[in-house]
Amino acid sequence: MNIDPVKALEGKVERLGKDLKALDSRLENAQTDAAHEQLGLSNQLKDTTRKLGRTNDRVTELAESVHRLERLLVALNRKVRAGETRKADFGNWPEIEKKELAKIFQGQEAYSRKTFTPQEAKDTRKAIAEYDRRAHEAIEAAESLTHLPANAESLWRKHYKQWHAITDKHRPEVPDDDTHAKDTAAKSAGNEAIKRTRQQIRARIEDAVANDLLFPAWFENAMGPAAPPGRADDWLYTATDVVLYRLLHDVTSPADALGPAPAEDGHRKTLYDRLVSECAEYRRP
Amino acid sequence: MAADPFARLADRQQSLRTALRALQAAGPGSPDFPALLTTTNDEVEAVMQARRDVEAARLTTPNRAIAAGTTAAALIVAVGWFDAWSLLSLLVAVATAASVLVDPAGRRLWEPRARTTVITAALAATLLTPLLHGWATLITAAGIAWWAWRTQR
Repeated sequence: MNIDPVKALEGKVERLGKDLKALDSRLENAQTDAAHEQLGLSNQLKDTTRKLGRTNDRVTELAESVHRLERLLVALNRKVRAGETRKADFGNWPEIEKKELAKIFQGQEAYSRKTFTPQEAKDTRKAIAEYDRRAHEAIEAAESLTHLPANAESLWRKHYKQWHAITDKHRPEVPDDDTHAKDTAAKSAGNEAIKRTRQQIRARIEDAVANDLLFPAWFENAMGPAAPPGRADDWLYTATDVVLYRLLHDVTSPADALGPAPAEDGHRKTLYDRLVSECAEYRRP
Repeated sequence: MAADPFARLADRQQSLRTALRALQAAGPGSPDFPALLTTTNDEVEAVMQARRDVEAARLTTPNRAIAAGTTAAALIVAVGWFDAWSLLSLLVAVATAASVLVDPAGRRLWEPRARTTVITAALAATLLTPLLHGWATLITAAGIAWWAWRTQR
Protein backbone atom coordinates (compact mmCIF):
# COMPACT_ATOMS: atom_id res chain seq x y z
CA MET A 1 0.00 0.00 0.00
CA ASN A 2 1.37 3.35 -0.95
CA ILE A 3 1.59 6.01 1.70
CA ASP A 4 1.85 8.92 -0.70
CA PRO A 5 -1.73 9.80 -1.60
CA VAL A 6 -0.69 11.30 -4.93
CA LYS A 7 1.13 8.11 -5.87
CA ALA A 8 -1.85 6.04 -4.77
CA LEU A 9 -4.12 8.20 -6.95
CA GLU A 10 -1.85 7.81 -9.97
CA GLY A 11 -1.78 4.06 -9.46
CA LYS A 12 -5.58 4.06 -9.37
CA VAL A 13 -5.83 6.19 -12.48
CA GLU A 14 -3.49 3.86 -14.28
CA ARG A 15 -5.57 0.82 -13.33
CA LEU A 16 -8.71 2.58 -14.38
CA GLY A 17 -7.11 3.49 -17.70
CA LYS A 18 -6.21 -0.19 -18.26
CA ASP A 19 -9.75 -1.23 -17.43
CA LEU A 20 -11.07 1.32 -19.85
CA LYS A 21 -8.84 0.00 -22.64
CA ALA A 22 -9.92 -3.56 -21.94
CA LEU A 23 -13.57 -2.46 -22.06
CA ASP A 24 -12.94 -0.61 -25.30
CA SER A 25 -11.50 -3.63 -27.01
CA ARG A 26 -14.32 -5.85 -25.74
CA LEU A 27 -16.86 -3.39 -27.08
CA GLU A 28 -15.19 -3.39 -30.50
CA ASN A 29 -15.15 -7.15 -30.58
CA ALA A 30 -18.81 -7.28 -29.73
CA GLN A 31 -19.62 -4.77 -32.51
CA THR A 32 -17.76 -6.79 -35.17
CA ASP A 33 -19.53 -9.96 -34.10
CA ALA A 34 -22.89 -8.25 -34.32
CA ALA A 35 -22.16 -6.96 -37.84
CA HIS A 36 -21.17 -10.44 -38.95
CA GLU A 37 -24.24 -11.92 -37.52
CA GLN A 38 -26.47 -9.32 -39.19
CA LEU A 39 -24.91 -10.02 -42.60
CA GLY A 40 -25.43 -13.73 -42.20
CA LEU A 41 -29.01 -13.21 -41.20
CA SER A 42 -29.84 -10.99 -44.17
CA ASN A 43 -28.28 -13.52 -46.53
CA GLN A 44 -30.38 -16.24 -45.03
CA LEU A 45 -33.43 -14.07 -45.42
CA LYS A 46 -32.73 -13.50 -49.10
CA ASP A 47 -32.21 -17.20 -49.64
CA THR A 48 -35.42 -18.03 -47.98
CA THR A 49 -37.32 -15.45 -50.05
CA ARG A 50 -35.98 -16.93 -53.27
CA LYS A 51 -36.89 -20.42 -52.20
CA LEU A 52 -40.33 -19.23 -51.32
CA GLY A 53 -40.79 -17.73 -54.79
CA ARG A 54 -39.78 -20.95 -56.44
CA THR A 55 -42.09 -22.92 -54.31
CA ASN A 56 -44.87 -20.55 -55.23
CA ASP A 57 -44.32 -21.16 -58.97
CA ARG A 58 -44.24 -24.84 -58.44
CA VAL A 59 -47.45 -24.73 -56.46
CA THR A 60 -49.13 -22.84 -59.34
CA GLU A 61 -47.97 -25.48 -61.80
CA LEU A 62 -49.16 -28.22 -59.54
CA ALA A 63 -52.50 -26.51 -59.18
CA GLU A 64 -52.90 -26.44 -62.94
CA SER A 65 -51.99 -30.05 -63.28
CA VAL A 66 -54.33 -30.93 -60.45
CA HIS A 67 -57.05 -29.09 -62.33
CA ARG A 68 -56.28 -31.10 -65.42
CA LEU A 69 -56.30 -34.29 -63.45
CA GLU A 70 -59.52 -33.33 -61.82
CA ARG A 71 -61.24 -32.97 -65.19
CA LEU A 72 -59.83 -36.23 -66.41
CA LEU A 73 -60.91 -37.87 -63.21
CA VAL A 74 -64.43 -36.51 -63.47
CA ALA A 75 -64.76 -37.83 -67.01
CA LEU A 76 -63.28 -41.16 -66.06
CA ASN A 77 -65.39 -41.40 -62.99
CA ARG A 78 -68.55 -40.83 -64.95
CA LYS A 79 -67.61 -43.44 -67.47
CA VAL A 80 -66.69 -45.99 -64.85
CA ARG A 81 -69.87 -45.31 -62.92
CA ALA A 82 -71.87 -45.84 -66.06
CA GLY A 83 -70.80 -49.47 -65.74
CA GLU A 84 -70.92 -51.06 -69.12
CA THR A 85 -69.16 -48.22 -71.04
CA ARG A 86 -71.03 -48.23 -74.31
CA LYS A 87 -69.35 -46.51 -77.18
CA ALA A 88 -70.71 -43.46 -78.91
CA ASP A 89 -70.84 -43.83 -82.69
CA PHE A 90 -69.99 -40.62 -84.53
CA GLY A 91 -68.86 -42.40 -87.67
CA ASN A 92 -72.10 -43.63 -89.24
CA TRP A 93 -74.88 -41.25 -90.12
CA PRO A 94 -77.60 -43.17 -91.95
CA GLU A 95 -80.11 -40.40 -91.22
CA ILE A 96 -78.04 -37.81 -93.07
CA GLU A 97 -78.61 -38.41 -96.73
CA LYS A 98 -76.10 -37.91 -99.53
CA LYS A 99 -78.57 -35.43 -100.98
CA GLU A 100 -78.17 -33.16 -97.99
CA LEU A 101 -74.40 -33.24 -98.26
CA ALA A 102 -74.65 -32.48 -101.97
CA LYS A 103 -76.84 -29.50 -101.15
CA ILE A 104 -74.24 -28.25 -98.67
CA PHE A 105 -71.50 -28.60 -101.25
CA GLN A 106 -73.56 -26.78 -103.85
CA GLY A 107 -74.20 -23.97 -101.39
CA GLN A 108 -70.48 -23.68 -100.66
CA GLU A 109 -69.73 -23.62 -104.37
CA ALA A 110 -72.33 -20.92 -104.87
CA TYR A 111 -70.70 -18.88 -102.12
CA SER A 112 -67.26 -19.21 -103.63
CA ARG A 113 -68.39 -18.57 -107.21
CA LYS A 114 -67.81 -15.11 -108.58
CA THR A 115 -71.19 -13.63 -109.33
CA PHE A 116 -71.87 -11.23 -112.14
CA THR A 117 -73.51 -8.00 -111.12
CA PRO A 118 -75.99 -6.73 -113.73
CA GLN A 119 -73.55 -3.97 -114.74
CA GLU A 120 -70.74 -6.48 -115.22
CA ALA A 121 -73.02 -8.72 -117.26
CA LYS A 122 -73.91 -5.73 -119.43
CA ASP A 123 -70.25 -4.83 -119.93
CA THR A 124 -69.40 -8.42 -120.80
CA ARG A 125 -72.22 -8.53 -123.31
CA LYS A 126 -70.91 -5.35 -124.88
CA ALA A 127 -67.41 -6.81 -125.06
CA ILE A 128 -68.80 -9.94 -126.71
CA ALA A 129 -70.68 -7.88 -129.28
CA GLU A 130 -67.50 -5.91 -129.96
CA TYR A 131 -65.53 -9.14 -130.35
CA ASP A 132 -68.11 -10.57 -132.73
CA ARG A 133 -68.06 -7.40 -134.83
CA ARG A 134 -64.27 -7.53 -134.96
CA ALA A 135 -64.38 -11.21 -135.87
CA HIS A 136 -66.77 -10.43 -138.70
CA GLU A 137 -64.47 -7.69 -139.98
CA ALA A 138 -61.40 -9.86 -139.64
CA ILE A 139 -63.06 -12.66 -141.56
CA GLU A 140 -64.01 -10.23 -144.30
CA ALA A 141 -60.45 -8.92 -144.38
CA ALA A 142 -59.09 -12.44 -144.67
CA GLU A 143 -61.69 -13.12 -147.35
CA SER A 144 -60.32 -10.23 -149.40
CA LEU A 145 -56.80 -11.62 -148.90
CA THR A 146 -57.94 -14.60 -150.98
CA HIS A 147 -58.44 -12.58 -154.15
CA LEU A 148 -56.09 -9.60 -153.88
CA PRO A 149 -53.51 -9.21 -156.66
CA ALA A 150 -50.00 -9.84 -155.35
CA ASN A 151 -48.67 -6.33 -155.93
CA ALA A 152 -51.36 -4.34 -154.07
CA GLU A 153 -49.07 -4.07 -151.07
CA SER A 154 -50.91 -1.41 -149.05
CA LEU A 155 -54.17 -3.35 -149.28
CA TRP A 156 -52.40 -6.52 -148.21
CA ARG A 157 -50.95 -4.67 -145.25
CA LYS A 158 -54.30 -3.19 -144.26
CA HIS A 159 -56.20 -6.46 -144.41
CA TYR A 160 -53.42 -8.39 -142.72
CA LYS A 161 -53.50 -5.90 -139.83
CA GLN A 162 -57.28 -6.13 -139.63
CA TRP A 163 -57.08 -9.91 -139.49
CA HIS A 164 -54.61 -9.72 -136.62
CA ALA A 165 -56.98 -7.52 -134.63
CA ILE A 166 -58.79 -10.72 -133.65
CA THR A 167 -56.15 -13.42 -133.36
CA ASP A 168 -54.68 -12.10 -130.09
CA LYS A 169 -58.06 -11.58 -128.39
CA HIS A 170 -60.33 -13.90 -126.46
CA ARG A 171 -64.06 -13.90 -126.47
CA PRO A 172 -65.35 -13.37 -122.89
CA GLU A 173 -67.64 -15.96 -121.35
CA VAL A 174 -71.32 -15.33 -121.82
CA PRO A 175 -72.80 -14.30 -118.48
CA ASP A 176 -75.62 -16.54 -117.36
CA ASP A 177 -78.81 -14.67 -116.60
CA ASP A 178 -79.94 -17.20 -114.06
CA THR A 179 -76.61 -17.53 -112.29
CA HIS A 180 -77.53 -15.01 -109.66
CA ALA A 181 -80.95 -16.45 -108.91
CA LYS A 182 -79.65 -20.03 -109.03
CA ASP A 183 -76.78 -19.19 -106.71
CA THR A 184 -79.11 -17.54 -104.25
CA ALA A 185 -81.32 -20.63 -104.25
CA ALA A 186 -78.30 -22.92 -103.83
CA LYS A 187 -76.98 -20.79 -100.99
CA SER A 188 -80.22 -20.85 -99.05
CA ALA A 189 -80.69 -24.58 -99.71
CA GLY A 190 -77.16 -25.21 -98.49
CA ASN A 191 -77.74 -23.15 -95.37
CA GLU A 192 -80.92 -25.07 -94.64
CA ALA A 193 -79.18 -28.40 -95.17
CA ILE A 194 -76.30 -27.39 -92.89
CA LYS A 195 -78.74 -26.33 -90.22
CA ARG A 196 -80.63 -29.63 -90.35
CA THR A 197 -77.45 -31.72 -90.41
CA ARG A 198 -76.01 -29.77 -87.50
CA GLN A 199 -79.15 -30.38 -85.49
CA GLN A 200 -78.97 -34.11 -86.11
CA ILE A 201 -75.30 -34.34 -85.23
CA ARG A 202 -75.67 -32.19 -82.16
CA ALA A 203 -78.58 -34.29 -80.96
CA ARG A 204 -76.48 -37.41 -81.18
CA ILE A 205 -73.51 -35.84 -79.39
CA GLU A 206 -75.77 -34.52 -76.64
CA ASP A 207 -77.27 -37.95 -76.35
CA ALA A 208 -73.81 -39.48 -75.99
CA VAL A 209 -72.92 -36.95 -73.31
CA ALA A 210 -76.17 -37.54 -71.48
CA ASN A 211 -75.76 -41.33 -71.53
CA ASP A 212 -72.06 -41.22 -70.56
CA LEU A 213 -71.04 -43.07 -73.67
CA LEU A 214 -67.40 -43.55 -74.44
CA PHE A 215 -66.36 -41.09 -77.17
CA PRO A 216 -64.36 -42.38 -80.14
CA ALA A 217 -60.61 -41.92 -79.86
CA TRP A 218 -60.41 -39.20 -82.55
CA PHE A 219 -63.14 -37.25 -80.79
CA GLU A 220 -61.38 -37.28 -77.45
CA ASN A 221 -58.06 -36.47 -79.09
CA ALA A 222 -59.54 -33.38 -80.63
CA MET A 223 -62.08 -32.17 -78.09
CA GLY A 224 -60.63 -33.36 -74.78
CA PRO A 225 -62.36 -35.80 -72.39
CA ALA A 226 -65.32 -33.55 -71.64
CA ALA A 227 -66.67 -30.06 -72.08
CA PRO A 228 -64.76 -27.46 -70.08
CA PRO A 229 -66.92 -26.25 -67.23
CA GLY A 230 -69.11 -23.29 -68.16
CA ARG A 231 -68.51 -23.59 -71.89
CA ALA A 232 -70.60 -26.59 -72.82
CA ASP A 233 -72.48 -24.81 -75.59
CA ASP A 234 -69.34 -23.62 -77.40
CA TRP A 235 -67.82 -27.04 -76.96
CA LEU A 236 -70.87 -28.76 -78.44
CA TYR A 237 -70.86 -26.32 -81.37
CA THR A 238 -67.24 -27.10 -82.18
CA ALA A 239 -67.79 -30.83 -81.69
CA THR A 240 -70.70 -30.71 -84.13
CA ASP A 241 -68.55 -28.94 -86.68
CA VAL A 242 -65.75 -31.47 -86.26
CA VAL A 243 -68.14 -34.34 -86.95
CA LEU A 244 -69.67 -32.42 -89.86
CA TYR A 245 -66.22 -31.77 -91.28
CA ARG A 246 -65.39 -35.47 -91.14
CA LEU A 247 -68.70 -36.30 -92.76
CA LEU A 248 -68.40 -33.71 -95.54
CA HIS A 249 -64.82 -34.44 -96.44
CA ASP A 250 -64.79 -38.21 -95.84
CA VAL A 251 -62.18 -38.20 -93.10
CA THR A 252 -62.09 -41.71 -91.64
CA SER A 253 -58.92 -41.71 -89.56
CA PRO A 254 -59.63 -43.40 -86.19
CA ALA A 255 -57.18 -41.16 -84.28
CA ASP A 256 -56.88 -37.90 -86.21
CA ALA A 257 -60.18 -36.03 -86.14
CA LEU A 258 -59.54 -33.62 -89.01
CA GLY A 259 -57.09 -35.55 -91.15
CA PRO A 260 -54.34 -33.86 -93.13
CA ALA A 261 -54.64 -30.13 -93.74
CA PRO A 262 -56.27 -29.29 -97.10
CA ALA A 263 -53.83 -27.86 -99.64
CA GLU A 264 -55.95 -25.38 -101.55
CA ASP A 265 -57.75 -22.36 -100.11
CA GLY A 266 -61.49 -22.34 -99.83
CA HIS A 267 -64.31 -23.28 -97.49
CA ARG A 268 -62.61 -26.47 -96.37
CA LYS A 269 -59.37 -24.73 -95.48
CA THR A 270 -61.16 -21.99 -93.54
CA LEU A 271 -63.18 -24.51 -91.58
CA TYR A 272 -60.10 -26.63 -90.92
CA ASP A 273 -58.11 -23.72 -89.54
CA ARG A 274 -60.98 -22.61 -87.35
CA LEU A 275 -61.55 -26.09 -85.93
CA VAL A 276 -57.86 -26.67 -85.24
CA SER A 277 -57.56 -23.48 -83.21
CA GLU A 278 -60.84 -24.04 -81.36
CA CYS A 279 -60.01 -27.63 -80.47
CA ALA A 280 -56.58 -26.58 -79.20
CA GLU A 281 -58.34 -24.15 -76.89
CA TYR A 282 -60.59 -26.86 -75.45
CA ARG A 283 -57.64 -29.15 -74.72
CA ARG A 284 -55.81 -26.48 -72.76
CA PRO A 285 -55.91 -26.83 -68.93
CA MET B 1 -47.13 -27.87 -153.83
CA ALA B 2 -46.55 -25.91 -156.95
CA ALA B 3 -43.00 -24.75 -157.58
CA ASP B 4 -44.09 -21.56 -159.31
CA PRO B 5 -44.66 -18.84 -156.67
CA PHE B 6 -47.70 -17.46 -158.51
CA ALA B 7 -49.37 -20.88 -158.62
CA ARG B 8 -48.46 -21.44 -154.99
CA LEU B 9 -50.09 -18.16 -153.97
CA ALA B 10 -53.28 -19.15 -155.78
CA ASP B 11 -53.10 -22.53 -154.04
CA ARG B 12 -52.71 -20.96 -150.61
CA GLN B 13 -55.52 -18.51 -151.25
CA GLN B 14 -57.74 -21.40 -152.17
CA SER B 15 -57.04 -23.27 -148.94
CA LEU B 16 -57.48 -20.05 -146.96
CA ARG B 17 -60.91 -19.72 -148.56
CA THR B 18 -61.80 -23.21 -147.35
CA ALA B 19 -60.60 -22.48 -143.83
CA LEU B 20 -62.54 -19.21 -143.77
CA ARG B 21 -65.69 -20.96 -144.82
CA ALA B 22 -65.35 -23.37 -141.88
CA LEU B 23 -64.67 -20.44 -139.55
CA GLN B 24 -67.72 -18.55 -140.77
CA ALA B 25 -69.90 -21.61 -140.45
CA ALA B 26 -68.81 -22.06 -136.83
CA GLY B 27 -69.41 -18.44 -135.78
CA PRO B 28 -67.66 -16.62 -132.92
CA GLY B 29 -69.78 -18.17 -130.15
CA SER B 30 -69.13 -21.82 -130.97
CA PRO B 31 -66.74 -23.84 -128.77
CA ASP B 32 -64.38 -24.85 -131.61
CA PHE B 33 -64.05 -21.26 -132.85
CA PRO B 34 -60.64 -20.71 -131.17
CA ALA B 35 -59.19 -23.85 -132.73
CA LEU B 36 -60.56 -22.90 -136.17
CA LEU B 37 -59.18 -19.41 -135.65
CA THR B 38 -55.72 -20.84 -135.04
CA THR B 39 -55.82 -22.97 -138.20
CA THR B 40 -57.14 -20.05 -140.23
CA ASN B 41 -54.40 -17.86 -138.83
CA ASP B 42 -51.85 -20.41 -140.00
CA GLU B 43 -53.45 -20.33 -143.46
CA VAL B 44 -53.31 -16.52 -143.48
CA GLU B 45 -49.62 -16.63 -142.56
CA ALA B 46 -49.01 -19.13 -145.36
CA VAL B 47 -50.81 -16.85 -147.85
CA MET B 48 -48.74 -13.88 -146.69
CA GLN B 49 -45.57 -15.90 -147.08
CA ALA B 50 -46.62 -17.02 -150.57
CA ARG B 51 -47.31 -13.41 -151.52
CA ARG B 52 -43.88 -12.43 -150.23
CA ASP B 53 -42.37 -15.12 -152.43
CA VAL B 54 -44.29 -13.75 -155.41
CA GLU B 55 -43.04 -10.26 -154.64
CA ALA B 56 -39.51 -11.56 -154.19
CA ALA B 57 -39.65 -13.33 -157.56
CA ARG B 58 -41.02 -10.19 -159.20
CA LEU B 59 -38.59 -7.71 -157.57
CA THR B 60 -35.32 -9.64 -157.49
CA THR B 61 -34.25 -8.57 -160.99
CA PRO B 62 -35.30 -4.88 -160.75
CA ASN B 63 -33.64 -4.56 -157.32
CA ARG B 64 -30.41 -6.05 -158.63
CA ALA B 65 -30.49 -3.83 -161.72
CA ILE B 66 -31.08 -0.65 -159.71
CA ALA B 67 -28.32 -1.63 -157.27
CA ALA B 68 -25.88 -2.19 -160.12
CA GLY B 69 -26.93 1.13 -161.67
CA THR B 70 -26.40 2.87 -158.33
CA THR B 71 -22.90 1.46 -158.04
CA ALA B 72 -22.01 2.54 -161.58
CA ALA B 73 -23.54 6.01 -161.10
CA ALA B 74 -21.66 6.41 -157.82
CA LEU B 75 -18.37 5.66 -159.60
CA ILE B 76 -19.14 8.16 -162.36
CA VAL B 77 -20.18 10.87 -159.90
CA ALA B 78 -17.13 10.22 -157.71
CA VAL B 79 -14.79 10.68 -160.65
CA GLY B 80 -16.62 13.43 -162.57
CA TRP B 81 -17.77 15.64 -159.69
CA PHE B 82 -15.07 14.83 -157.15
CA ASP B 83 -15.61 16.43 -153.77
CA ALA B 84 -14.51 15.10 -150.38
CA TRP B 85 -17.86 16.03 -148.74
CA SER B 86 -19.83 14.23 -151.49
CA LEU B 87 -17.86 11.03 -150.88
CA LEU B 88 -19.91 10.38 -147.72
CA SER B 89 -23.16 10.20 -149.67
CA LEU B 90 -21.55 8.03 -152.39
CA LEU B 91 -20.08 5.61 -149.85
CA VAL B 92 -23.39 5.13 -148.03
CA ALA B 93 -25.18 4.62 -151.36
CA VAL B 94 -22.60 2.04 -152.47
CA ALA B 95 -22.86 0.21 -149.17
CA THR B 96 -26.66 0.05 -149.52
CA ALA B 97 -26.31 -1.10 -153.13
CA ALA B 98 -23.90 -3.83 -152.03
CA SER B 99 -26.32 -5.21 -149.44
CA VAL B 100 -29.18 -5.20 -151.97
CA LEU B 101 -26.99 -6.86 -154.60
CA VAL B 102 -26.12 -9.64 -152.17
CA ASP B 103 -29.72 -10.25 -151.06
CA PRO B 104 -32.22 -8.45 -153.32
CA ALA B 105 -35.40 -9.78 -151.63
CA GLY B 106 -34.69 -10.31 -147.93
CA ARG B 107 -36.56 -12.75 -145.71
CA ARG B 108 -39.21 -10.73 -143.91
CA LEU B 109 -42.83 -10.35 -145.02
CA TRP B 110 -42.62 -6.80 -146.36
CA GLU B 111 -38.95 -6.77 -147.20
CA PRO B 112 -38.84 -7.11 -151.05
CA ARG B 113 -40.64 -3.85 -151.63
CA ALA B 114 -38.81 -2.13 -148.74
CA ARG B 115 -35.54 -3.07 -150.43
CA THR B 116 -36.81 -1.59 -153.69
CA THR B 117 -37.56 1.63 -151.82
CA VAL B 118 -34.17 1.84 -150.19
CA ILE B 119 -32.23 1.11 -153.37
CA THR B 120 -34.31 3.66 -155.31
CA ALA B 121 -33.54 6.23 -152.61
CA ALA B 122 -29.85 5.37 -152.89
CA LEU B 123 -29.95 5.82 -156.66
CA ALA B 124 -31.72 9.17 -156.32
CA ALA B 125 -29.20 10.28 -153.72
CA THR B 126 -26.31 9.32 -156.01
CA LEU B 127 -27.80 11.21 -158.93
CA LEU B 128 -28.45 14.27 -156.73
CA THR B 129 -24.99 14.23 -155.16
CA PRO B 130 -23.50 16.71 -157.70
CA LEU B 131 -26.21 19.18 -156.61
CA LEU B 132 -26.54 18.45 -152.91
CA HIS B 133 -23.03 17.16 -152.13
CA GLY B 134 -22.90 15.40 -148.72
CA TRP B 135 -26.49 16.36 -147.87
CA ALA B 136 -27.72 13.70 -150.29
CA THR B 137 -26.80 11.19 -147.57
CA LEU B 138 -30.05 12.21 -145.85
CA ILE B 139 -32.07 10.76 -148.74
CA THR B 140 -30.32 7.40 -148.43
CA ALA B 141 -30.65 7.55 -144.64
CA ALA B 142 -34.40 8.13 -144.98
CA GLY B 143 -34.60 5.14 -147.31
CA ILE B 144 -32.70 2.99 -144.83
CA ALA B 145 -34.96 4.11 -141.98
CA TRP B 146 -38.05 3.20 -144.03
CA TRP B 147 -36.55 -0.18 -144.82
CA ALA B 148 -35.75 -0.90 -141.17
CA TRP B 149 -39.22 0.21 -140.05
CA ARG B 150 -40.96 -2.03 -142.57
CA THR B 151 -38.71 -4.97 -141.74
CA GLN B 152 -39.17 -4.73 -138.01
CA ARG B 153 -42.97 -4.86 -138.17
